[in-house]
Amino acid sequence: MNAVDGSDHYEVAAEGPAPSLLVIVLDTNPHAWALLAPTLPLSKAIANILVFINAHLAVNNANQVAVVASHSHRAVWLYPRPPSSVEDVEMSDMTSPHLDNANKYRPFALIEDSLLTSLRELISTTTEADISTTTTTQMAGALTLALAYINKATINYTGISTETKTTQTAVDTNEAPIGLQSRILVVSVSGDLAHQYIPIMNTTFAAQRLRIPIDILKLAGDTVFLQQASDATKGIYMHLRSPQGLLQYLMMAFLPDQMSRKHLIAPSQEVVDFRAACFCHRKVVDVGFVCSICLSIFCSPPEGAICLTCSTHLSLGDYGAKPAVVPRKKKKRKKINGGVDTGSARGTPAPGE
Amino acid sequence: MSVSTLASFEYLERLPGTTFRRLYQQPSTALAIFRRMLPHLAKTFVMALLYMSKPFPLTDLDLWVNPNSKRERDKALQLLSRLYIITVTPPSRDDPQTITLTQKFGESLRLALTGGGEHNSFGVPSNDSVAEGVDLAFLDEYAREQWEGILHYVVNSVGQSMGGGGQGPTDAVKHLLEAGQLVTTGRHSGKGITQAGFSFLLQEVNAQVWTLLLLWIENAEKMELDSVEVLSFLFMLGSLELGRAYSKDTLTDSQRQMLPYLVDFGLVYIPRSSSGHFFPTRLATTLTSDASALRSVSAGFDAASSAGGAKGFIIIETNYRLYAYTDSPLQIAVLSLFTRFKARFPNMVSGRVTRKSVGNAISHGITSDQIITYLSTHAHPQLVKNASIHGGPVLPPTVVDQIRLWQIENERMKATPGFLFKDFENGKEYEGCVKYADEIGVLIWKNDFKKMFFVTRVEQLRDYIKSKKLK
Repeated sequence: MNAVDGSDHYEVAAEGPAPSLLVIVLDTNPHAWALLAPTLPLSKAIANILVFINAHLAVNNANQVAVVASHSHRAVWLYPRPPSSVEDVEMSDMTSPHLDNANKYRPFALIEDSLLTSLRELISTTTEADISTTTTTQMAGALTLALAYINKATINYTGISTETKTTQTAVDTNEAPIGLQSRILVVSVSGDLAHQYIPIMNTTFAAQRLRIPIDILKLAGDTVFLQQASDATKGIYMHLRSPQGLLQYLMMAFLPDQMSRKHLIAPSQEVVDFRAACFCHRKVVDVGFVCSICLSIFCSPPEGAICLTCSTHLSLGDYGAKPAVVPRKKKKRKKINGGVDTGSARGTPAPGE
Repeated sequence: MSVSTLASFEYLERLPGTTFRRLYQQPSTALAIFRRMLPHLAKTFVMALLYMSKPFPLTDLDLWVNPNSKRERDKALQLLSRLYIITVTPPSRDDPQTITLTQKFGESLRLALTGGGEHNSFGVPSNDSVAEGVDLAFLDEYAREQWEGILHYVVNSVGQSMGGGGQGPTDAVKHLLEAGQLVTTGRHSGKGITQAGFSFLLQEVNAQVWTLLLLWIENAEKMELDSVEVLSFLFMLGSLELGRAYSKDTLTDSQRQMLPYLVDFGLVYIPRSSSGHFFPTRLATTLTSDASALRSVSAGFDAASSAGGAKGFIIIETNYRLYAYTDSPLQIAVLSLFTRFKARFPNMVSGRVTRKSVGNAISHGITSDQIITYLSTHAHPQLVKNASIHGGPVLPPTVVDQIRLWQIENERMKATPGFLFKDFENGKEYEGCVKYADEIGVLIWKNDFKKMFFVTRVEQLRDYIKSKKLK
């Protein structure tokens, strides 16, 4: 009898858990993996990640997955493979023995095959010159690709129905009351990403707006900005102390999607490093200078006191002047060192005339 | 909606442990049960346990789960142990309670995820020359024809002559429908539809398929088929790919014996020219799909059926007016079970849901929940879209409530089978038990004054009381 009250209305709308899309950004930086090889070689890590992907797909048969490699000089799609005309013939005869295996669920086999093929391709096309010129990874590019893909998938999932609802040919309208739940998992091995500070933070804020958690699984190295990314998007950040146990970490901490995370206590980072990188030399700074107009950060006053971003002429006040003996001056300098020199009447940089 | 489909799995829950252990030997079965039957949180637990080398202490699980979600946690654990997926060590004073996956299930699920082994449980694709003209559209059309034939047979037994509808199901299926008491062959009024038949009609396709299949399994024992074999075969069908030919050679004898029945149901298509392989249809490949996925699947299925109209075709307004964009006699017949139609146009019918029409349906044994589920399952995309934009329910709440109220008018009582606990020694014991029963979600009614309470399931509570007695 109590069933007829207001609280029951929404039961009709609520259905089973919404499918989720997992985009994995795999850091394939050759330098970092070479360092990691004694504890966890790339091949083993890939095998673990494949099991993880299968587990994700097993949870719900509408679940989707996508994998981007963030390589040393470019970001590449591993799965789904970008449509290319050259590979078609090669792929069909390479895949046949795998795919007819009756001991493996076919969707799993398809993904594994495609992922391994494209990864091999990526590694074989990497030249020495590519490796020697850079030691980092194109994380920002990969994250951007991931966000773009999520956007496309979300539109595909919800949008089709609104566009083609009038026509009778709306074959695959899969409108669900709750949209596709997406998240990004970054498997990161590289260290410093300071030179990509701005693009990474931009993707972070985009993800934050779209409510896409960015989970970070750190196998090696330490990156300030990925910590900030996961913190801002309410993702999980984990630094593995023993990378051999990668699979268990993946299964326990990173497999639950947003729905089940509500019921779980996610591992959290104790301290988040909120430092920023300067716009001039890409150095991570504790204390720096901030343009009063566009809020760009500089580690030292830009040349000619002109902001590099917005070209505003900044008046630096007395910064850099020889310390005078007058005690009042000394106090002033301290303030300037404090980064933002508010509070003093003259010191606030103002746009020049 | 998911509730109605899950209901068909109640059959599985009744199976004894040995049956489960045999079922779990097939990776495809383990995967299907994992995917289809478990609530979301339970899946998370299973995956976390899957590659864990040591037993997982229950106290650690408590640390992992949000304290506010204790109820969900207990429900998940209860279901998992009922399905023999996990084993929880009995509480004792020396060791802390731990949970582990049962060996067979763990092994099979791991095999399913990683591949390998020699079980062939995901079907052997056939490389022989594939029959001409067997494409997705053909399979969909074939499956639809077979299935609608069955539905027409059930509907026609109401007495409303629909006319046409193909040649109807085979005798075997007719027998099955009668055995399952979906239709009766009464002496006085010829064939008649039963209450079960009505609920059958109002289910979504996937649930209908399962209902029929489970009926078949129950009757299979008479046909000397092993229910475990049948189930594993069905779960295997669920993992096959639509539009591919699979070889019959690797099937066991009893599985081959099942194929003709599945052909009758429209789950499998065997080309006449070559008998060496079979094609699973959409009905088969979606057997183990999730409720959310079914929306899209049934859309694909219905869209393929040119005459059947689009999947979502019902618009219902707050003033109880109902518009159904369909010209399928089957759907109109189903709707007319609880709607008073006023006008019929070439591509739509319009009518009203009235107290009398709903009351009529209820007197036939249709429940308000079934009506509501049917309406929301087949709601027009426009309704669904509006609901998702505003975050509200698909159907107008007034209508939903009113339909429920109409049912309650006649039903002042609701019977729940279960167990009554009474005569507690003291208030503390009573309170502990009630609290626990509530947490695991089996508590139906309690009376603090008389120290009595009523539960639907007793197993876990019994263990709990035993463990209390130990201490």
